[in-house]
Amino acid sequence: MERPDSQTTRRAVLASLGTVTATGGVVYAGAQLDSGATETVRTSPTDGPRFHSSSESTGFGIDLDGHPVMGSMDAPLDMYYWSDYQCPFCRRFEENTFPTLIDDHVRSGTVRVIFIEFPYLGEGSITAAVMDRCIWRQVRSDEPRRYWQWHSTVYGRQGEKGSGWASKSNLLEITREVDGVDADTVDTCMQENRSEIESSIATDVERARRLGLRGSPAFIIYNRNADKAGKLVGAQPAARFDEAITTVENA
Amino acid sequence: MSDSRVQAHVVRLLEGLGYPLTSVRRTLVTVYVAAVIYCLLVLSTFPTYSAQLLGADIAYFDEAILALTANTYQTAGAVGLGLVCGYAIMTGIAVTAAVGRVRVAGSQNARRLSAVLPGLLASGCASCGAGLLGLVGLAGALATLPFDGNLLRLAGLLLAGWLSRPPR
Repeated sequence: MERPDSQTTRRAVLASLGTVTATGGVVYAGAQLDSGATETVRTSPTDGPRFHSSSESTGFGIDLDGHPVMGSMDAPLDMYYWSDYQCPFCRRFEENTFPTLIDDHVRSGTVRVIFIEFPYLGEGSITAAVMDRCIWRQVRSDEPRRYWQWHSTVYGRQGEKGSGWASKSNLLEITREVDGVDADTVDTCMQENRSEIESSIATDVERARRLGLRGSPAFIIYNRNADKAGKLVGAQPAARFDEAITTVENA
Repeated sequence: MSDSRVQAHVVRLLEGLGYPLTSVRRTLVTVYVAAVIYCLLVLSTFPTYSAQLLGADIAYFDEAILALTANTYQTAGAVGLGLVCGYAIMTGIAVTAAVGRVRVAGSQNARRLSAVLPGLLASGCASCGAGLLGLVGLAGALATLPFDGNLLRLAGLLLAGWLSRPPR
C-alpha cells in the first residue's frame, strides 16, 4: 500500500497549520472589525433632526406617503435610503457614516432623507419593515422624532440574521424600551394591517429592483430642481457621500 | 472506491499541500496568489459597492477589504469567512503546483494544465456566490440556501483541494 514519506507528511502538516493559522487570523480580524463597529459613537436619537410626513410624489417617482422624511422639506436634494434592519452593512452605515451626513448636510438644510424599507434577508426583515411602518403611523403626527429614536435603537440592537432577534415578539420588547412609543398599539397595527403594509413594501422593493438596486444600503441622491440623480451603494465613507452630494447639487 | 485508491488520493493531496513549502519562492507565490484571491472573493461579495469605491479612488482599497471582511463575517459567520480563506489558500497551492508543473514538464503540457482554469473559476464562483447572484438580480438568494450558502462555499473549497493535487 502506498504511503507518503515522512518529509511529505511534515510539509503537509506545516502547510495545514499555516492554512489554519492564516484562516484563524482573518476570522479573528473579522470578529474584531465587527465588534469595533458597535462601539462607534452614535448620534443621540433624542436630539436628532426634524422629521416630516408627506403625501406628495417626487419628480423621481418616489411616493413619500408612509415614508419618514428627515430634514427640511425645502431641502433642494432628496436622498432616498433603502435599507433592511437585518443587514449588517446598513448598521455600519448607520453607525459610521449617517451621523456625519446628518450633521453636514441634513441639519444645514441641503438634503432631506427619505427612509424606504428594502427587506430581502428573510422573514425577520419583513417583520421589522412592517413594524417600521406601524411605528411611523403612530408617531408621525405628534412626535415624528420618536421614529428616529426607534429606528436607531433597533439598529443598535441588531443581532445575527436568522437568530430570532428580528422576531415580532423581540422587536416589540425593543419597542417597549423606546420612550413615547406604545408597543401594544404597534402590535395591533401589525395584526390589522400587515398584509396591506406588506403589499406596499413589495411595491417599494419592486421599484428598487427596477432602479437596479441589488443590495443594501442603497441610495439615490436626487436634485429636484435640476431633475438629476446619482446612485451610491453600500456603506461608503462620508467623503464619498460629500462628493456625490456636491456633484448632484451642481448638476 | 478501493482502499488503495483512497490511499493514493490522500498521498497526492498531502504532496500537493506540502508542495509550496519545498522552496521559499513557491511559498511566496502561494501566499501572494492566496492574498489576491481572498481580496477578489471578498470584493465580489458586494461587486457594485466595490466597483464604486475602487472606481472613485484606489486608496479606498483597504476600506473596501476591511468593510467587506467584517460584512462577510456578519452575514456568513466565522465558518463562512473561514471557508473563503481556505479556498483562497487552496487556490494559491493549486496555482503554485500548476506553475511548477509547467516549469518541469515544459510548454507541451501547458494545454493539459489549462484544464485547471475552468475548475478554479467554477470553484471560485461557488465560493464567492453572493455577490455574483446579486449582480444577476438575486440579491439575498444565498440567505435562502442552507447555512447561508456555506455549503456552496464548502463545495468550492473541496473542488479547489481536488485541483491542488499533483498528477500521477
